[in-house]
Amino acid sequence: MKRVAAILFATALVGGATAPVAAYLKLGARVGGRTVTLRWPQMPIRYFVTDRGVPGVSSTQLQQAVTRAFATWDAIATAQISSTFVGFTLADPRQGDGATVIGFQNRPELDRTLGATSFMIDTTNGSIIEADIFLNGSFAWSVASSGEANTFDVESIALHEIGHLHGLAHSAMGETELRSGGRRVIAAEAVMFPIAFSPGNISGRTLKADDIAGIADIYPSTSFTRETGSISGKVTKGSQGVLGAHVVAFDMRTKKLIGGFSLSDDGSFVIAGLDPGPHIVRVEPLDDGDIDSFFDATLNIDVNFKSQFYNKVVVVPRGGGTSNVEVKVVAK
Amino acid sequence: MRRALACALIAWLGFPALASAQLFFRRDAPRAGSAELGAAVVWSGGFDQGSVSADETRNSTTDTSPFTLFTASSRTESVTGAQGRVGVYVSRAFSVEAGVEYGRPTVSTRLANDAESAQDITATETLTRIIVDGSGLFHLTGLSFNGGRGVPFLRAGGGYVRELHEKNEVIDTGSEFHAGGGVKLWFGRGKHRTGFRLDGGAMFRTDGADAPKKRRTIPTAGASIVFLF
Repeated sequence: MKRVAAILFATALVGGATAPVAAYLKLGARVGGRTVTLRWPQMPIRYFVTDRGVPGVSSTQLQQAVTRAFATWDAIATAQISSTFVGFTLADPRQGDGATVIGFQNRPELDRTLGATSFMIDTTNGSIIEADIFLNGSFAWSVASSGEANTFDVESIALHEIGHLHGLAHSAMGETELRSGGRRVIAAEAVMFPIAFSPGNISGRTLKADDIAGIADIYPSTSFTRETGSISGKVTKGSQGVLGAHVVAFDMRTKKLIGGFSLSDDGSFVIAGLDPGPHIVRVEPLDDGDIDSFFDATLNIDVNFKSQFYNKVVVVPRGGGTSNVEVKVVAK
Repeated sequence: MRRALACALIAWLGFPALASAQLFFRRDAPRAGSAELGAAVVWSGGFDQGSVSADETRNSTTDTSPFTLFTASSRTESVTGAQGRVGVYVSRAFSVEAGVEYGRPTVSTRLANDAESAQDITATETLTRIIVDGSGLFHLTGLSFNGGRGVPFLRAGGGYVRELHEKNEVIDTGSEFHAGGGVKLWFGRGKHRTGFRLDGGAMFRTDGADAPKKRRTIPTAGASIVFLF
């Protein structure tokens, strides 16, 4: 069995994107010429916490916050996931020792990275063998129940990184604005949005519909398959497919925003995990600054088109799918 | 002299009609046990479903209100459909009836106020609406006209609303109550006769395919051919 540390994802606080809105994306790996979704082959996920605190957060408080974050994911009824805290360890995360470790590391050189998740995967089938999360100890942290000014919330950032640990990539369901030295989040509707809320904010402790649909798509429960549906189709510009377009489905009854990306050259997309009923479909380009937060930078992601609504209300059936939704966009 | 002329006109215009009506309802009015079949063209008014916004959670350091990505305002358009009814007279004045109505209303959703300036459009969907209802009819025999052939009535009842979204894979159900009135115009006097019926009123419906779900008041009207036997 060939094992290789495959992927690293970061959560940057002061970097980001201006306006995109999109949805969950799953981490993938190339196996035998095809892309497979990264996922844990069995549950529960057994994790350790590094027995090291930072100013304002002891290792015990870190472990409690991490356990709460795992429990938030574990509580999703439509996903079959679970986790177990094994114990404290003196080992650092990212050691590639087969143990899943979460802990603080002082990484001042990563001045825009609050935390990151690295994986060791089985390259024969995409199974995750080990995943490690570090939280950058060079930032100020807090576990205060209501948040604390000028500090980042451990539970919120852990929740995001644990999403990666499960196999979720970034969502673009959010808006940012340019600021001196980077970008600031205006709003987000996914914990998996790549840029965190400002210090003192604890909104990131609550999973959104997009996060829930994403994790359930990777680890579906029986009820997920039975009770939700999907929308599939294409995004086209002229006669060509659009690669990397954000396609968002809005449930007018529940107000949930869930989406996907067109992931092939012909512009095909699938959005799963939708509640049955009528949806609005909206397509928009990824902002240039965002692309490497979502896709391999070598891909030819098309961002030269205007945001566009689909001209029909799309009805999602329970336990099935609505296909052939073609959204035709035009160049900017 | 003028008063005498007025009385004579009333006698000529009114008394024969009253006499005819009484005669009609004694001899030819539908009796208890008479049945009535009807086939109608019905119209239901449109109604606004309201507006919802696609919101994102605002970063509390920038603002406290949600960030609205776009808004969606929906309206169920008025529709003309078909209805079939069967009724039974409990007495000469009172009957009960059951009906099935079929219609295909369009739901139009206006998408606007996009945060990234996507062009406003109206997205549409066509529903299949089926209403199964029951009603009580009280015929105002004292107000009959045209020799008793025209009979006003009052109608009230309730029913079950079943609305199927496109492709018929998603079904929403609801309930309705209705009230109104109308008139029946019979073309003959026999036990078996044909007539014309006009209905008007309001439907008070709850649930169904509305989003968000609220009680709606909808004007209704109908015209039908009826058969008495």
